[in-house]
Order: sequence, then structure tokens, then C-alpha cells
Amino acid sequence: MKKIILILAILMSAFVYQSCTKLQETILDETLSVKLSDQEAANGILAPVYGKFIDIFTHTNYFALQEISSDEAILPYRGGTDWGDNGIYLSMHQHVTTSTDPNVKNTWGHILQGISRSVTAINTLPTLKVASSKTYLAEARGLKAYYNMLVLDLFGLAFVKDEPGNPSVILRGEKAVEYIKSELNDIINDLDPTVGPGRLTPNAALGLLARLHLQSAVWKDVYGNPSFLPADMDKVIEYCDKVISSGKQALSPDYFAIFGNNNHDNKELIFAVDQRPDLNGHNRLAYFSLSGDQFPLPEFPNANGTDGPAITSDFYQTWVKANAPIDPALADPRFYQQNISFYTNPADTCVAAKDFKIDRGILRGQQYGLLRVNGAFVKCGNGSLKVGKLFSVTRNKPTLAVDFTEKVDFTVAGSDYSTGYRVEKYEFSSKSASGRNFGEADISLVRYADIYLMRAEAKLRKGDAAGALADVNTVRAARTKPAKPLTKMDLETLFQERGFEFYWEMIRRSDMIRFGKYEGAWTEKSNTDKSKRVFPIPQTAIDGASNLPGYLSQNQGY
Amino acid sequence: MKTIRNIFFITISLIFSFVTLSAQQVTGKVLSENSEPLIGVSISVKGTALGSVTDLDGNYSVDVKGLNDILIFYYIGYKTQELPVNGQSILNVTMSPDVQQIEQITVIGYGSISNRDVTGSVKTLRKDEFNKGIINSPEQLLQGKVAGVNVTTASGDPNSAISITVRGPGGVRTGSDPLYVIDGFAINGSANFLNPEDIESIDILKDASATAIYGARGANGVILITTKKGKEGKSSLDFSVNYGVSTLARALGVFSPNEFRKQVTAVGGTLQDLGANTDWQKEITRSALTKNYNLNLSGGSNKLLYNASLGLQDQEGIIKTNDNKRYTGRLSVGQKFMQDRLKLDLNLGVTYNTVNRPSIGSLIGDAISNNPTFPALGADGRPVQYTGISNPLTTLELEKSITEGARIIGNVSPSFTILKGLVYKLNFGVDYSNYTTDNQSLPNAVPLRDGRLETFYNIGSNRLIENYLTYEFKIDKHSFNALAGHSYQKFFGQARAYSINKFPINNIEPIYNPGLGQELTLANNRPTGSAGINELQSYFGRLNYQFNDKYLVTATVRADGSSKFGANNKYGVFPSFSIGWRIMQEDFMKGNKLFSNLKLRAGWGRTGNQEIPAKITQAAFTSQVGSNTSYPLFNTGSYPPGTTFSRLANPDIQWEVSGQTNVGIDFGIFGGALNGTIDYFNKVSNNILLEVIPSDPVQPAGTFWTNVKDMEIDNQGLEFALNYEKNLGNSWRYNLGGNSSFIKNIVKNSPYSVIPSGNASGSGLTSATINGYINNQPIGTFYLKEFTGIDDKGLSKFRDVDGDGIISDKDRVALGSALPKAIFSFFGGIGFKELDFSVNFNGVSGNKIYDNTANSNFYKVRISKGINVTPDALDYPNESISNAAPVSSRYLKDGSYLRLNNMSLGYTLKPSAIGLGKILTGARVSVTGQNLWLSTKYNGYDPEVNTERNINGVSSYGIDYLSYPKAKTILFGLNLTF
Repeated sequence: MKKIILILAILMSAFVYQSCTKLQETILDETLSVKLSDQEAANGILAPVYGKFIDIFTHTNYFALQEISSDEAILPYRGGTDWGDNGIYLSMHQHVTTSTDPNVKNTWGHILQGISRSVTAINTLPTLKVASSKTYLAEARGLKAYYNMLVLDLFGLAFVKDEPGNPSVILRGEKAVEYIKSELNDIINDLDPTVGPGRLTPNAALGLLARLHLQSAVWKDVYGNPSFLPADMDKVIEYCDKVISSGKQALSPDYFAIFGNNNHDNKELIFAVDQRPDLNGHNRLAYFSLSGDQFPLPEFPNANGTDGPAITSDFYQTWVKANAPIDPALADPRFYQQNISFYTNPADTCVAAKDFKIDRGILRGQQYGLLRVNGAFVKCGNGSLKVGKLFSVTRNKPTLAVDFTEKVDFTVAGSDYSTGYRVEKYEFSSKSASGRNFGEADISLVRYADIYLMRAEAKLRKGDAAGALADVNTVRAARTKPAKPLTKMDLETLFQERGFEFYWEMIRRSDMIRFGKYEGAWTEKSNTDKSKRVFPIPQTAIDGASNLPGYLSQNQGY
Repeated sequence: MKTIRNIFFITISLIFSFVTLSAQQVTGKVLSENSEPLIGVSISVKGTALGSVTDLDGNYSVDVKGLNDILIFYYIGYKTQELPVNGQSILNVTMSPDVQQIEQITVIGYGSISNRDVTGSVKTLRKDEFNKGIINSPEQLLQGKVAGVNVTTASGDPNSAISITVRGPGGVRTGSDPLYVIDGFAINGSANFLNPEDIESIDILKDASATAIYGARGANGVILITTKKGKEGKSSLDFSVNYGVSTLARALGVFSPNEFRKQVTAVGGTLQDLGANTDWQKEITRSALTKNYNLNLSGGSNKLLYNASLGLQDQEGIIKTNDNKRYTGRLSVGQKFMQDRLKLDLNLGVTYNTVNRPSIGSLIGDAISNNPTFPALGADGRPVQYTGISNPLTTLELEKSITEGARIIGNVSPSFTILKGLVYKLNFGVDYSNYTTDNQSLPNAVPLRDGRLETFYNIGSNRLIENYLTYEFKIDKHSFNALAGHSYQKFFGQARAYSINKFPINNIEPIYNPGLGQELTLANNRPTGSAGINELQSYFGRLNYQFNDKYLVTATVRADGSSKFGANNKYGVFPSFSIGWRIMQEDFMKGNKLFSNLKLRAGWGRTGNQEIPAKITQAAFTSQVGSNTSYPLFNTGSYPPGTTFSRLANPDIQWEVSGQTNVGIDFGIFGGALNGTIDYFNKVSNNILLEVIPSDPVQPAGTFWTNVKDMEIDNQGLEFALNYEKNLGNSWRYNLGGNSSFIKNIVKNSPYSVIPSGNASGSGLTSATINGYINNQPIGTFYLKEFTGIDDKGLSKFRDVDGDGIISDKDRVALGSALPKAIFSFFGGIGFKELDFSVNFNGVSGNKIYDNTANSNFYKVRISKGINVTPDALDYPNESISNAAPVSSRYLKDGSYLRLNNMSLGYTLKPSAIGLGKILTGARVSVTGQNLWLSTKYNGYDPEVNTERNINGVSSYGIDYLSYPKAKTILFGLNLTF
């Protein structure tokens, strides 16, 4: 019996050995606490607030919502094979977007996460003893205000949240405008003027305040007819004056340098997404619109365009009419910049790889470029690259020329791969490792030309057409080979001018609403429903809030 | 006990045969119902002490006192026969099995009981009932064999995932597979590493009263696998060889070259005709050979039982270069000590796999689309390179993925009889696996490829320790069997991935020297990894009570704690209760001629599904330099690691709960020849775990996990199973059987207007979803725009459900589910002397399939561009050649099918008949066909398909996208027993 007890004891020891678990979850691959110095902690809590920029200001998110919904961009179901995406780009253009649109959902999600990250930073920074904490705190609050401005503009509401644990208070209309205004005014003096354009500077805040006062007529009564109060216009002028008198900004003589790889130090930029190739950079805004048979980088025979959006013929015609009888490419330096000499010198068929750059601006007609056969670029005898006429090889239509046409719409013919004039505003990164990643160019959010054009608009809305004209012509004259000065100024002209200056810079939708154009008709768009001035709140968010009746209600008309 | 009695009899009769004086002698042979000699049958002469036993060939000789004596033939499991000698000196006897007497043992978790005492819904499948042919995973053994169990192989890939659903899915997420327990050792995931030849039997616990003993892991059913064990007094060596040839069962019906030439021109496309006639699907497929060898060594004395096996399966896939090799070894030992009070069982299994797999999706995509007038090979015998299309033969040369690794699983379980009826048992097990996958893309000049190597390392381990006591006792007419125990299990998993790009073009494969890669940046080659530990601790108990052999009661309870559960809900308690009534034993049934068995069962139980993602109860913040977590705060210097919350805490998170009621009846009629089971069940799952959007949308993470209390997923069903066996006595025997189940699944009180799943694949289809789970519709519902035809402009028309004049997401409707309304199967066998023949059919009906392959490949635009399509693309003559093909009901197809799953013909040789009696004790040759016939309206490769397209872990169902086609196989087998 003793032996039995001994064996039992041995067996039971295993029981005792293992049985006292508390079932605490052990986490091996995530940190639940980090040891950081206060400075590292401060940097680490502010950086993610800006970090959402790269998610928001991208082709399928903010760009799609601000541009494809407008007369500046249209994205048909290319060739019946590409960009079908469940019809979301057609709906976006026709103003029949629904609450299940994934791009609307993603944009909403990214912006709201930006607000949340601001709240976290605002609550953490005061606990850290660092010299820059005041500036950082001001930036975090300023960004919270900026993100709220974006939500207000897109969805018609703003979220006030000070403590991470408390639910947000939802504001709409005038209350939302006042909230954002007071936040920006509170922090502007604490901002650091030397950290731009990638971070919020006093000039950036002034630019945002000017935009707020200009747009507030719309935001206060989003479905009504905006009434622009003189007091607001005075504020716009005041803030713009402050930016101009700061002496820190300058208009760029080279228009396309504003969107070039080395634009970070371009004084035209006031507030921008600081893209770094080794961190967050991407070439999406550069390759999105190009043809699938355009290969802009000699090092990367797999980096092509996507045959994404084109400009509508309506928008193109505004260029033509404004510059008639001269071709816009010759009349206005903002329209086009030739980099491939073949277009004007057909004998120039060989280009050294280091010299090859594609054209910028609005691309029309037959395209020329690097010829790709069996996955490699054709070379000339001397090792340089052959440049020639492009065909739709990657589209399985090797005899169909890549010839961008003015006509682009949702008909079968208008949806083909090469329809529509394309936009190549941002430069392709030269540091890319795949052709598509590693973007270098900063993405402009507020730039100096807009300070002049906002001031011009404020003056004009106050009746000072001459002052407005002078501001507009200042911008026109600043560029190399400038467009002819304008001779008269009215709202129609100013609206057009904003299109010429800021096309595809993610501001067109807001402009169209402010100028009363959003219910107008253009290619494939005839919807006149004012409810469409704001987007639907994503259905998932409505579902998520369904346990709190009345807390988050869907926008009218959706 | 019976074995002991048998040995006793043999011993006694042996003794007597020596001591008795012989008067006269009777000799003869004793055969089984299959005409096999029976060894060790005891023969006694009635009313005397005389007797004998049969030898190895079934022969006996017995001394009798007179020629009018009566001989009694006794053999365990067979009906005892009394035969008068009637003056004969030779008496040959065929024994017939005693159905009543064969005690079917059912494994029920922490023990086993006689089948007649089962009160829950449990199905036992023994190895001779398994499906036959090339088996890659144990689930295939039981496809169509068990009512209420739906086995779906995701594709024809020999390594395909196999989903098995017991009584319908009870959640929206992935992880609704049953729990697998191998020889008492619960494992993580499927048992696909087992050699099917090593499996003796599979018990499927279906209802909650049976699975509640597995508590938080019981909600999806439990599959108990018992491997082969040695048998007392019988040693044998079995060797089997199988050779199989597999070919593509059904090709997709794309246009033939001539038809293609005609159609491209007819729709107004530009025909590029290079004059060849290429069947691209044929180019990438082949007649694939499978070789399978198994060696099994088994034996035992009354103290030691052993079984050892080695297996090798070398299987070629029907797609070129796809190879699968599986080497397995398994050992099972049982030893008794201390006057049999201490018993030790040990199981050890090892599996080593290598899988070589080309990139299936792109191969199939090219093969079904490429212009059939283009030659595949040039005059030099090399794949031709084209601009615009890619030659799949080049892909086969350049791309491959190799997975290699091993899994070791072992458990040792000593048990000790403390007192009579009171047994203590320990179960200690370890399971370890280590797999490496290399995805290699060779560098190449034409077409230009940079070359890339990605390597994934996966490690998993699982340790189990269980202690339990069982106590069995009887008081008068009351018998009790009680169980109480504790279990602790710890799982560990780790995954890591590394990559490197740009290799020089030479004859060295990157896999053998990754250091030759020339490009490595954090942006393109950031290593990834994750690791996790999951601990489970449980207390469990069970009481079986029987009164007078008529009334059966079973009650179980298990308290399960998991490290995955939130701090506020560490332990869940899962009870069950069931009763059985053996009506046959009642007095009023005495004298009834119809029934040989009649039992009523009823039970209720509550189980859980603890397969929730790890870490979700805890908040997490990460501190890392990522594209959207960091930002250049300064012009120079390194980027600050951004601190972000990636998840919100929810300490309330717990298991999903499933309550199930089951009522069933087991019956046997015609003297036990026809046996059947009918079960009704109602399974209600709630506390559904969902990743939900917070009501305040301003959150660090866009979603958080929670149990939605009110949400329910109901499965209600009826199951029927019938089996008829008849031995005609004149060397003919046959059996017929079948089962069917009807399950109604429904989602209730979901807080979401729709939970989307099933991301559509293919160009132009980004962001469209195929499945959508909405209230009052089943899981697996297809939520789509309804295609109504082609309008006068040649464009697609859809039903405008909300009547707003716009076709949008709001016009989506529920158009059926991928879950079949009925699952059915039937099987049969005929035997004549040494010949046996069996067939197994299985099928489903009432389900739909979304043909995403057709949606993204077969539409009119494509043929107009010189891309091959099926004739379906031209169904509408007035359709425009630029009509887009968005996701819609146009590609939703009927998924019902009936398949001849396998058919087998075998011949059992008598080694003595061919002069090998001294060497062999048995030999058998067989030929088996798999997937020989299929009836379905579905025109994809195969209606049994499930391409995984889940969205954030919400399961997709019934989507077919460039799936590996299914094979048709003929397998020749030879079995030798020494």
C-alpha cells in the first residue's frame, strides 16, 4: 500500500505543478507599457496625430470624395474591366453615393481616428516635462480642429471630445463652426513658425482660419443659400494679410515645382503632408490617373499608371474658353509642362535613363514614352532608352494607341482605357524601390496662392472687385511665362481661376458648394439634390450608434 | 472480461483434451461468415468434460464419447452453436456473428461506454465504414457518413482546407470548426496530419449533452479519433501498397480554338490568330500519380499491447509541379503492472510533410483566359513569351511555394485502480509542430523578373495535463458511473516572415542562398511576426446512472477558464443533462416481433465557443515607426516611434454560448438487420462575438470586440440515418444505408443592418462584397443586386428594390445561402464469397454558389478583347461588348450536387489457396475509384468549393474563385498480412 501511495503522490505532483494558473493572458508581441524619456514620449504621442494624414490624403479617400464628386474628375468603369469597384466611382460622380461606400467609410474612419489621436495627445502632453510641450499641445489641439473642419465639410458635423473616456458631444452647423474657430484661435500663438510646412505653423493656422471664415456660410446652413457675412470676409482678409505680412511665404515661379520631389522647402507650401520616401511616402497621386501603358520611371518596368480618373470635358472647356484662341498649353504655365522632347522633336527617340521624365499637368492626345516589351524597356544601341508611341499593350489591345481623348463619360465608348485628359500634377519619386512606393513630394493642403485667392474672394464678396482682381493677377504674374493678366473680376471668373490654380488639389467640391455650382450639370451629372452637399455617415457608424437613439443620426437624403 | 473468459475456456478445454481417454474423433473446420478461418474457437462436447480449440487454419479435432453427442461451438462475438454429430466424423461449421453480443463501444470523452447506454447524439464510425481512396485528411473519411455533419473540401488541392460543420454554423466568424481529440488529447485545429490508415474509429459528438463535457470548446461538436491499438493474442504485420492515377475531373467549358476564332469575330473583336490549337487547361494539368505505402505491426499479450506503423504517401497534384509528400510514424503501447492495477497507455505520432505548390490562382486565371490559338511551346520546346498575356508554363517554371515541416504528438496516460471500481487517471500530452514556407520567384530575363524570396516560419505547441477519477458501482438495480477531473492546457503559436528581393540570374535558387539577394529595405522587406499563448483550465464531472437497464440518465458539467476571456468572465460553466429510455427492455415489448432495438433519447446542454481572437480583452498600444503611426516632426534625424492605441479593452469578453436540445430515437427492426436513428435538434447560439463600431465614433481604434447578448444564430434540424445489412447465407451478403439532414439556419437580432463578408476578387470588383448576414436570413446568405437582364442599350439591368431610380447598394437583397438546406448520402455494398464491392454517394441541395471566377473572367468584354470565355458570356445576344460585369446575382448559381464519392471492388485471397499459406495469413487486392460521377447544374470546376474571402474574420461561404480543380482518381491497392 505504501508503494501505491508513493505512485499516487508522484502522479498527483503533476497535478499540483500545473494547476495553479490564474489564466492571466500573456502578451508576447505587443507592448502594453514602454519606457520612454519624456521627450520621446512627447514625440511619440504627437507624431501619430499627424500620422493619419497619409491615410486621409490619398487617391481613394479624400481625393475621391473632393475631386471625383466634382466637375474636375470623372472615373468611368474603364474598358468594363477596371475601376468598376461596385460602381462607387460612378455614384460618387453622379452624387448618388450611399452610406455603404467603402471610400466614404474609410475617409470617415481615418479622420475620426485622427481626432481620437489628438485627444490622446492632448491628455498626455501636459504630464510630460519637455520644453516643446506647449507647442506640441497647441499642434495637437490645432489638428483636432483641422480634422473637425474636414468632418464638418464632408459630413456636416463635428465632435467635441476632451477626455478619452467621455463620449463626444456632436455639434452641427453654427455651433460646430464656432467650436473649431475658438480652438484655432486659442492655440495660434503657441505654434512654432519654424516647423512648416509639414507641421502646423501660425501661418498654417491662419490659412485654416481664413478657409473657415470663408466656408462658414456654407457650414452654418449646409442645405441653404450661403450668406457671406461681411464680418467673416473681414476676418478672411485679416488672416490672409497676416500670412502675407509674415514674409515667410512666397509664390513659386515654377508652378510644377510646388508639386515636385523637392517641394518641401518651397515657400509656396504653408501646410502639407510631409512625405518621406523611407517612412510614409507614396506615388499614388502621381500614378493614379496615368495610362496602364505609361511607365514613368526607367528603373521600374512594372510601375505604370492605372487609367484612373480624367478631367471632364466641361472642366477642359473652361481652360479653352478662358484662353481662346490660344491653346491652354501655350497660354497658361499651369496647364502643361513638357518633359519628353519627342513631342516637339520626333527625332529625339533615345533618352538617357537619368534624363527621362514624363510630362506634367494635363496630358492630352497620343502619348509617348518608354516602350515595354516582355517586361523590359526597349533600349537604343548606346544603352539609352527608346521613346516612342504608346499602345494599349497591357490592356491586351496592342494596336490601340494610348491617345487621350477629350470625351470621357460613362458610355461604352467614353469608358475606354484612353478616354479623358489625364492629370500628372505631382512628380513621381526618384527614390522609389518599386515605382509605386517611396513618394517624396509633400502633398499640399494649404498653399500661398490660396491665401491670395481667398483674400480676393473675400474682397469680391464685399464688393471690392478691383482689389480681388489685383490679388488674382498677383498669383498669375508670379509664375514663369505667366498667363495674361485678367481684366475683370466676378464670382464666375474667380471660380474658374480657382480651378486653373488648384485643379486636383482636393478642394474643388468645397469650392463648388461655396460658389453654388454643386447642384449644376456636367458630364454624367445631373443630380440637383442639395442633400448631397454632405456625404452620408457610414452605415457601420450608424449601426454602431443604434443603441443610443438620436445620438448619431443619418444626414438628410440618405 | 469476455476475453479473459474466452482464454479461460480455451485453457480448460485444452487441459481436458489431454487428460481424457479418446473414444472416437470428430474433425472439421470453423469459418467466419466471410469464410475466413476462425482461430481459437472452443468446442466442447455437451454433457462431458471433453473439448478442443481450432488451430491457426480453423481446424479442430475433438474426441467424443459417441456419435450421437452434441458439439458446442463457442466464440466471442458469435452465436454459440450446438450441433449433433449424427454419426459424422467430419463436421464443418460456419459461425455467424451475434449482433446482440457485439458490444459497440462509443468513445464519449474521458471514457467510453457501451453504445446501448448512450443518451446523447453520437455517431461512431469504424474503419471499415470510412470512405475509400486517396485521403488527405480524416474529415474526408466521414464525408457523407454522418447525418448533420457537412464536410466541404474548399478545392481540389490535395492540401485544401476542409471545413466541417456539425449541425450548422453557430457564429459569424471563422473558427466554427469542431474540436478534435486524438486518443484523449485535444488539439488545436484539424487532424489533417494523421495518416488515415492509423485511425481505428471516429466518434462524432453532435449534440450539447454529448459535447458539454468539453465545455467552452464543445459548441461546434467534438470529433474523437481513436488510433489503432494492439489486440490481445493476435500478432500481425500488415503491408499495403496503393497506386493511384488522378486526372482533371471536369475542365471549364471555355471556347475551343475554332469556336473562339468564330466568336471573337462575331462580337466584333479583333482576332489575333496564331494558328495553334492550345488547350491551356490541359497544358497546366497532368495525369498525376499517387503512391501510398503502409506498414503496420500489431500484437499483444495480456500484459502488453502494441501497434506500430509507418506510412508514406507521395501524391502528385493534377496541376503540374504540385507535389505532396507525407511520412508518418505512429506507436501505441499499453502495459499493465501490479496485478493489472496500474495500466499505462502511450501514443506517439510523427508526421513529416513537404508540399510543393505553384501559384494556383494565376495559373488557372491564365489557363482559362489565354487565347487558344497561341501556341504554348515554341519550336525550341520552351514556353513562348507573349506581350499582354502571360504563359502559365513560364509561371510554373518561375514561381513556387514549398512548405516543409514536422509535427510530433504524444501522450502518456497511466491509470491506477485504487479500489474496486475507483480508477485514477493521468493524461499528459505534448504536441509540437514546426513548418517553414518559402515562396520563391526566380529572377528571369524574358519576361523580366527581379526574383524574390519570402520565408514564413510557423511554430505551434500544445501541452496538456489532466487528472481524473472514475468510480463505477452498482447497488441492486441501480448502476452508477461517476467522473470528476481537472484539466490544464497551454497553447503557444509563433509566426515570423522575412523576405529579400532582386536576385542575380544564375542557376542558384534563392531558397538555397537567400544572401544572394541584392535589395533589402524596411519598406519592402519589413519582417513581420506574431506570437501568442493561450491557457485553458477546466474542472469537469459526469454522472451516468442506470436503473434496471431501462432508464439511463447522464449529467455533465464543465467549468472552463481561458486566458482569452476577460477579467470579469474568467470561468464559464457548461452543464448538460440527458436521459435515455430503452423501451425494448420494458415488459410490454416482450413478445414483439418487429423491433430488436428501440431507444428514446432526449437531452439538453449548454456549450461554448472559445475560439475568439487572443488579446481582444486587453487594450493595446504600440510604439512603432510605421507609415501612419509616425511622422517626420523634424527635418532631419530618425522618425519618432508613434505611440498609438490599436485596440480598446473589454474585460467583459467571453465565449459564445450555445444551448442545444436534442430528441432522438434509435431503432432496430427485422431482427437487427435494419438499424436507424432519427434526431431532432434545436441549437441556439447567442452572446455572438462581433467586432463592433462604438456608438461614439471618435475612438483610438475604429472597432472593439464585444459579445452581442441579444444576437442569436439558430440551427434547427432533423437527421435521419438508416442502415440495412443482410447476410443471405448462400455466400451473398449486402448492405444498404443512407442518411440525410435538413438544417434551417437563421440570424436574429443582429445590431447591424448587414454584416458583410466575401470580398469579391478580380479587376474591377474591388470593394464589392458577396455575402451579407442580415436578420432573419441564414449565415452564408448571398446579399446581392438582382440581375434582371440586358436593357436596350446592351447594358445590365438590376432590380431597383427601393424604387429610387438608382441602382445602389441599397438595392441588394438576400438571394439564398451557401448553406445547403439538405445534406444526404447513401451507400451500399455487396459481397460474394471473397469478392466485395461498395459505393458511396453524397450530395447537398438547396444551396447556391457565387461563381466569382466567371464574374471576373467570363463576360462579353473579355471575348471582344481576344480573351477566352465560356459560352455563358454570350447568353445575351444584345449585350454590349463593353457592358461591365459588377457583382450581382448574374453569377449566382445553383450549388446542388450528387456525387459518386467513391466506389471500390476488392478480392480477398486465401493465401493457402495460392500456396503461400505458410508466409501470409491474408491478402487482398482492390481497385477504388474516386469522384467518378457528378451530377450538378453548376458549371464551375466543382460545386463543392469554398474560396476563403472573409472580411475581418467574418466567414465567407460558397464563393468559387480560381479554385484548384477537382481530380478523378483510380486507385489500385494490394494488402498483405503476415
